[in-house]
Amino acid sequence: MLAVALDDSVDDVRPWVEGVSFPVLIDPEHALTELYAISNVPTVIWIDEADRIVRPNGVAFGTDTFKEFTGVEAAPHKESVRQWVREGRLPIPASEARTAVGDLSADEIAARLHFRIATTARRQGRDEVAGRHFQRAAELAPYDWTIRRAALPLTGGDPFGQEFFDMYEEWQQAGSPYHGLAATGSS
Amino acid sequence: MQATILSDDVGTVEATAHDGQLLIDPADLPSALGWELKPEGLCQGNVCVPVRDAAALFGDDKLDVAAVAAALGRPAIVDAAAGIAAVALGAERRQQALDGLRAPSFTLPDLDGVPHQLQEWRGNKKLLVAFASW
Repeated sequence: MLAVALDDSVDDVRPWVEGVSFPVLIDPEHALTELYAISNVPTVIWIDEADRIVRPNGVAFGTDTFKEFTGVEAAPHKESVRQWVREGRLPIPASEARTAVGDLSADEIAARLHFRIATTARRQGRDEVAGRHFQRAAELAPYDWTIRRAALPLTGGDPFGQEFFDMYEEWQQAGSPYHGLAATGSS
Repeated sequence: MQATILSDDVGTVEATAHDGQLLIDPADLPSALGWELKPEGLCQGNVCVPVRDAAALFGDDKLDVAAVAAALGRPAIVDAAAGIAAVALGAERRQQALDGLRAPSFTLPDLDGVPHQLQEWRGNKKLLVAFASW
């Protein structure tokens, strides 16, 4: 397991990974949301020994570490992982894997760029500049949690508060868009 | 002003803002963006991207960051007044993942600030889990 936190500061991450034995990295610039077209967390990607993607972006877990705040059962996915590790059983055919993750649109890329400018400005203490770019990013990618929800704690909002619930409803009404395989009981 | 250019790395260079353009000294392009303007074009290591009209990259003898990004085929957002520009990491690397099913490399720090590359775990099966405190 290799965990990457799409968070701005290690202080925000530490409480969630206390006592874990797997490597935890931090990605404050959200490079992975561009490289792997990640639009929500948690996203799990299965990568084999030769760095090939055998199961692309999916809402699933290898452990129950995050079960508390996602409500997604780890067991079925865990069983698939076990079969992969023990028997080399591939979870989905490559042809399906290749089309599972829709590419980012130009607006979604631009949103990521505005987000990066925003976090940089914020770290420089320039909240007005940051606010403008967080706002623009949200306009360009309204259903992207790595943009809108990630910006909440960085703009004085509460990612677990009313703003989030409103966002969630909006997202559901839009068809719950996600770049990857939706959460399933088993794969 | 001191401008911050965000691409694969973060570059801080002297720049001027003029008419919405963020302009830098050509000699600063490598530290700003990791590319160099040579007669062959825009070069990074062994790779050179030919530039059809190099003159169009310039404003007043300075390089226009947005124009350089465009010449590289990279989407970019430039806030000249704020002196911050962000250049996309490139569609090829993302297509490597989406179509090619090959995990793009990355270098990210752990919580103690020590950088790690994906290749460090080559030879192992990995579950890459992107998560967040939010």
